[in-house]
This record gives sequence, C-alpha cells and structure tokens, in this order.
Amino acid sequence: MTTPSRLRIAGGTVYDPANGVDGAVQDVCIEGDRIVAELPAGVPRLDVRGMVVMPGGVDIHAHVAGSSVNHARRLLPEEHAADPVPAPPLADGAPARSGTGGTVPSTFATGYRYAGLGYTTAMEAAVAPLAARHAHAELDDTPIIDSGFYVLLGNDDYLLRQIAAGETARARDYAGWLLGVTRAYAIKIVNPGGVTVWKGGGRNVSGLDDVVGSSAVTPRKILETLAGAANGLALPHPVHIHCNNLGQPGNSATTLESMRALAGRRAHFTHLQFHSYGGERGKGWKSAARDVIDYVNGHAELSVDVGQVMFGSATTVTADGPVEHLLYASSGRKWVNVDIELETGCGIVPYAYREQAAVAALQWAVGLELFLLAKDPWRVVLSTDHPNGGTFLSYPELIRLLMDRAYRDERLKAVNQKLLAGSALLDGLAREYTLGEIAIVTRAGPARLLGLPQKGHLGPGADADVTVYAPDADRAKMFAAPRYVIKGGTVVVQDGQLRRASAGARLAVRPDYDVAVKKDVKRFFDDYATVAFENYGAEP
Amino acid sequence: MSAAARTVEHATCLGCGCACDDITVVVQRGRLTEAKRACALGTAWFGDGQVPDVVRIRGRAGTLERALSEATRLLREAKRPLVYLAGDISCEVQRDAVAIADRLKGAIDSLAGTAAPGVLAAQRRGRAGATLGELRQRADLVVFWGVDPDARYPRYSARYAVDPVGLAVPAGRRSRRVIAVDVGDARGPAAADGRVAIPPDAELDALGAMRAQVQGRTVAPDGPFGTAIALVHEMTKARYVALVADAEPGPTPSDPDRAEALIALAQALNDPTRCALSTLRGGGNRSGADAVLTWQTGFPFAVDFGRGYPTYRPHAGAAERLAGGEVDAALVIGAPATLPDSIARGLGGVATIAIGPRASAAGWKPVVAVDTGVAGIHEGGTAFRMDDVPLPLRPAFGGEDVRSAASTVRALRERLEGAA
Repeated sequence: MTTPSRLRIAGGTVYDPANGVDGAVQDVCIEGDRIVAELPAGVPRLDVRGMVVMPGGVDIHAHVAGSSVNHARRLLPEEHAADPVPAPPLADGAPARSGTGGTVPSTFATGYRYAGLGYTTAMEAAVAPLAARHAHAELDDTPIIDSGFYVLLGNDDYLLRQIAAGETARARDYAGWLLGVTRAYAIKIVNPGGVTVWKGGGRNVSGLDDVVGSSAVTPRKILETLAGAANGLALPHPVHIHCNNLGQPGNSATTLESMRALAGRRAHFTHLQFHSYGGERGKGWKSAARDVIDYVNGHAELSVDVGQVMFGSATTVTADGPVEHLLYASSGRKWVNVDIELETGCGIVPYAYREQAAVAALQWAVGLELFLLAKDPWRVVLSTDHPNGGTFLSYPELIRLLMDRAYRDERLKAVNQKLLAGSALLDGLAREYTLGEIAIVTRAGPARLLGLPQKGHLGPGADADVTVYAPDADRAKMFAAPRYVIKGGTVVVQDGQLRRASAGARLAVRPDYDVAVKKDVKRFFDDYATVAFENYGAEP
Repeated sequence: MSAAARTVEHATCLGCGCACDDITVVVQRGRLTEAKRACALGTAWFGDGQVPDVVRIRGRAGTLERALSEATRLLREAKRPLVYLAGDISCEVQRDAVAIADRLKGAIDSLAGTAAPGVLAAQRRGRAGATLGELRQRADLVVFWGVDPDARYPRYSARYAVDPVGLAVPAGRRSRRVIAVDVGDARGPAAADGRVAIPPDAELDALGAMRAQVQGRTVAPDGPFGTAIALVHEMTKARYVALVADAEPGPTPSDPDRAEALIALAQALNDPTRCALSTLRGGGNRSGADAVLTWQTGFPFAVDFGRGYPTYRPHAGAAERLAGGEVDAALVIGAPATLPDSIARGLGGVATIAIGPRASAAGWKPVVAVDTGVAGIHEGGTAFRMDDVPLPLRPAFGGEDVRSAASTVRALRERLEGAA
C-alpha cells in the first residue's frame, strides 16, 4: 500500500477527548495532510475494527536535540555500542538511516523510535540561544516528528541587567527578539538565578528571595518578569519553568512558593516530580506530592508535566549546572559541565534508578502520586523528562502503571519502602486511568497546553496525525507497538513496522516586539559577547 | 564578475579552532584583497580567494558528470570503503558525507581523530568546561598548561581568555593572573605573570599530586612537586580558573593519560571553586565533524557502518585502516592540504575520490578529483568553534563563481542512494 492522499480509517474505537469522543466506534477521514469531516464512498480504507484510535502522541518535554544532548551522546559510547539501530526497511521515500540508541539516541533513531511509539510531535525542552543553530540542525536530522524547542532564559546576563534596572518592558521585548532570532517555540526557565550564581563562583541559590548579583534580582523577580513576558507576547505556550532546588529534600516549599508567586498568571511547571519532596536537607526525604498537587488542582491557570522516574538507565542532562555537580559529587559517575557564555549552563551525569534505592523508590512513588491525585488530566500531563527520569521508550510501562492498579500495587511491594511513609501510594490509591484519560495526558492535553490547535485531536482541520493500537490487557504491550501510525497523512507505521519516514515540520513562534531593543542588545554584545550580534541566532 | 569592491562583514575564519567571526573581507576584481582583523594564520587561510576549478579523472580533465559516475562506480564496487572528513567543509556537507558512509556501509573518520586522546578521556570521565566567552566573562586565573596559544591559535588570548573585559573581570588583562606551565619544550606564553616548570616525565605525577591536594589529601610542599602544589593552591583560591591545554598533537607525542589527568584536575577544582578546562582544537571545522558524527551515529569519530549500523573503532580509525591495507576505496571530502601525514601517506596506495578545495592538487593522486570552493570563503553553511559554538559562514564570493562542495557531495549522495 502506498500512502493515498485520501484515507478512511474505518471502524475503530476512537478516543478524541478534545472533541468529546470517548471510545465511540467511528471513522476518521484524512485528505492530504489533514483530517476532514467526511470522504466520499470508495476512497481507500484502513480497516481498524476492534482497534483503538487516538491522535498522534505529543511530548511536551523531552531532551532530544542540541548542544547539551549532543554532549550527552558523546559521553555514552558504551550505551550506543550496546543498542545498535540498523536502518529500518522503508517502503519508499528517502533512504533510511542507521544509528544507535541507549538513553540518548542518535537523531534518526530518535525520530524512528518516537514514531514507532505512536508519537508524532515532540518538544526539545532546553536550548541555549547561543547553540540554537545546532539544535535546528539536529531537529532537521530527526525524521517524522514535528518538533520545536524552548529557549533558555532566566540566567542570561542581559535579562538580569534589565530586571536590575526595572526595565520590564525591555525584558519582554528582548524575550520576543530572542524567540524570533533563535526560531524557538517557548521560553524555558531553569533554576532561575541559580545557574548564574554557580557560574559566578557560588554554589546555587536556595530560595526565591536570594539575591543574584544585584539586590533587585531574585529568582522570584526572574519568574515574574518572564511569566509576564510570555503572556505579554501572547505566546501559545506560557513560560515553562524548572524550579529552583531540583532534587532536594524539602523542595516542595520552593515549588509552592514559585507557584504562588505567579498566582493568577499562566505558567507551566515542568517535571514536577523532581520538585515535590518533603523532609529537610541532611535530615531525610519524604513525599510532598499531595501538597503540591492540591495546589495545582486548585489553580486552573497552572499546568504541569510530571517527570516520572522509571526504574532503569537514565541520563540526567540539564542546564541546571549546580544540580549536576551535586549529583557528580554524590554518585562519583562521569560528569560533564559546560558553562555557556552570558546565558546558561549545562550539566550531565549518566544515572540509573534502582528499585532497591530508597530515594529512587521515593521519586517513583511521588510521580505516581502526582498522576493519581491530579483532578484535571488536561493540566497534569505525561513526561519522564526524557532522558532524565527515564527514556521515552518507558512511556508504555508508565501508562500500564497508571491504568492497572493490580500491577502497580505489585510493583510497589518490590521497591524500597524506607522513605515511602506518608506517601499516598501506600494508603492504596485505587484510581486507574481510562483510555480517554491516557489520550488526554499523552496527546490532547499537551497539545492544548502548547497552544497547538492543529495537534492532539481528530476534528476536521487537524493535522492528520493518528495512532492505531491493537487492544491488549497488558497496556504496556499495547502502547509500545502501535499497529498503524499516520503522520501528516503518511502511513509511517504499517502493521506494526516502520515503513516510511517523512520529514517533520518545525514549530516556532515569531512574536511582535518593539525592535528598538535590538540596538541595546547589540551594544551589550559589542561589549561582552564573543559571537557577533549579526551571527547570533538561527535565522537561515 | 563586478569590478566594484565587495565587502562582507562578520565573516567567520576557519584558520584555527578560534573561529573568529569578526572578519571583514574585501573582494576586488574577483580577488580577496583584505581580511580585516584576521591574524597571520587567518590571512593565510583566506588567501586571495583563488582556487583551482578542475575536474580530473585518472589524471585527465573530465566533466563533473563523468567524475560523479566514476566515483559512484568506484564506491559501489568497493568492499571496504572509507569516507574521510577533511577540513574546510561545512556541517551541511559533513551531514551528507555521513549519509554516504551509512549508505555504503563503509567506515568514516575525520580530523577529529587527531585529538583522539582528549575525546576518549572525556568519554571515560566527562569534563568540566565552558564556552570561550564564559572564560572571557569569568576567568580571573588563566593557566596555560604546556601551550602558548599565540603559535597555533593566535587570537585566543585577544578574544577569549586573557585580554578582553568580562562581566566579572572589568579590567580585562589587569583583572586576571596568567600562569605559564612549561612542560619541557612545550612552553606557556612568555608574557605570563608566573611560570612553573615541569619535566615531561613528571607531568602525569604532578597533575595527580595537584588533584590529590585539591581533594584534601595533603601533598608535601617541599617534595618533588612543590611548585605544582604551590600552583594548585593558587588555583584553589581563584574565583574561576581557566585551565588551557592543546588537544592537537604537538611536536612530541604526549602521554595518552595526560588528557585524562587534566580533566580530572579541572573537575576536582569545582569542589573548592570553579574551573573550566579549555582544550584547543585546530581549524577547518573539525569540531563540526565531531558534532555531526555524534548526532548522526552516537560516536564522534572512527565510525564503521560495516554491520549496517554504526560501531565505534577509536583504535582502528582511518590511519590504522589505511596502514593495515583495510581500505579498497576512499572518499575524501574537504581540503587535502588539511590531512595529517599518516592519512595522506596511506591514501597513496588506495583508489581515492577527492572532493574539496584544491582536490586536484592532492599529492596522493586521486582517481577522481573535483575541486570545490572553501567553506566560509566561497560557500556558506555552519561551522563549529573549538568549544562547539555553531557559527554561520558568510562567503565572500557568490555561489556562481566556484563549484560548491555542498552541491557536489549532495549530487554524489543522490547517485549513491539511487537505484544501482
């Protein structure tokens, strides 16, 4: 079968929560690269009776391309050697490419594996503006999936100067300029102020009101300024926040304070699991998932992704340099640190989460608590912060944990219980996600939070990104191997095999801003930067 | 060709890994007459912009069409083909070249192989580093470990680590202290504020003693490493240390464990203070080859697609394969003049295709040679600075003047990917 320009996906059980469809048997019609309401009789049909039909998956937060990811790849030859990816036998189109996998796969393998999982869109969550050109080149070499990236702000010296000077409007215009010139999709904040302190010879910030250089600059002020900028620039996705104190016991206080600081404003808090711990530094850990998710449940302006920890290999890769230094010091593993001029940092430590390790077990439980206590799945969506909490290949296993209480309880018994006292999971959370809710947390929800009206649903006009699963009581099996994946109208996975690899599109914004800011930024570049203002960014 | 002068600003020089992007290039009557702000090395790299435009097949002039057909035939018939990424090509060309190696199930290597000890050490241990601009902003102590950057990286001091004003070093050079570590004949810069001499055969032990000291295991200050220990005391007290070492091979081979010892010291120094190791890399966009190979295959150099997927053969790279007679056809993409001797020598006994700047002048007599322009002078694209910062290339000449490596390699790729 070649890919027809018209296709009726006939007779499947459809989960399209954005359009209120929850397990109805109906056809999905595709014309070209779009979903249409109806097609004439006689067009090619894909008979999917008895199968489950959902929009293509949308990953709101993963580390898949760019400078930091490539530093991680270079650090992991042993993983790549152990996980070869021969070129898939494609039916037609551009020749397939080989590659390697592991926790940080090569670019072609990344595209193939996402598509093989039924995902058709993925957002790279942290790109230093200085390396934007690099990130685009890697995404160009990542087939099938539509993709974009979030550009790192909040530790950049130009921005901090504007905050120190009370130049909120100029900070907003700067963010608008930077998003456009780097062809980014959203603003990402990582450990606001903390990376700057680390680069300046300190260790980190400890809370929202620590001073960062100038007394007018604090993590709180950085959050407020950039949340305001994102909303003022009318970006489709609000500011995407990795809070201070990631991975520290007791950090839920900082997380809640960050949320309160932005009360009433749209904001997305990422990998919330890593920020939902009780206890105290040096005195032990416990879950604070309930406190944090209760707040999220009560504030419709907030959204989060969970950042679930999954047992097995991971690679921690983040702009949060100081956190990785701590992890290096405590684990003794390989460690990369790259301080990035005038902007941000980068730290990498390969890692493994073991069931028998008390903290890893707590992290696993905290993530599940967040999922299971969440009231609104549209605002609490699925991620493992790939490859930090586990790779995207572990999503099917995570879905099984959410959908299958008996399985979850059995797994819970096998993990280290030492730090689980007080965890809601131990009290027996009975909830089981439905297929409709899985469709929300893996596609409809992320698409809505990203402000992508053409993604995450199957209504007329939507991108023809469709995934068809053969039902299986073992949900991990079911979600690991879709029978069909259609991306932009092209059947890429057919009978469970990757058969085509079309190019993906780039998702980027170009906000309006007062261009007067460029002159001021150029002056700053002339004074301090080592790259010409004219050579900065990623414009073709 | 217009007689009026043409000026291109913010051009990026690939003469060394500094990739200075502040060059103003002037072209008059078809010749590059000036590269403002370029150092001597850069001026030589830009030259006058004249490159030969020859297509040669078995020593005789031919058409591009025939050259590509012959190249396709040779590569398809080869059982153990090698693709080699030489210098002066863009990342875009490197990406196509890796696709060719993948298609051929061949081996691929690059100039990055010359810095293999450092790459391998960083794969074992990681690294503590920074982009060059961060050294500019922060470093209050700069330690040149057995290298004077003025020789092979002439503007390194002026643009990055030493002279310029930075956010945390407001008086530039006067805000910093510079130490030269002389390891035998490998001497640090003459204009240093302090000097430490270490005999080459004691270098590893000295680095080990320094690291032990940083980790709190006190080393006798009056023992054989007294000066090194005094230096590491100073490093510990600085706010941000730039430790600068040359990753390219020097006149005498260094200990293969040296790179790892430098990394280990730099990492350890991040406990009491901040430290970044700056490893100097050569030009021609070799760092780009390392990055492209890494993202497309998972490995930075010495990759073999022979099994239908990438495997890593860091101790059986191009030089070893050629020397061992394990290559029956080679595709060299980039400037032959940038090849290390070991590679150029080995190519002499193999059927080769050379595509790149001055390919027709290659000393090893390629079977097929196609001259192209130089990335950054005649064609655009992306190149990586030695610290992995990507930069756009701004060619001084228009695309119509000189055959591009990008279009030539793309055309070869398309032929190889087409039906046999």
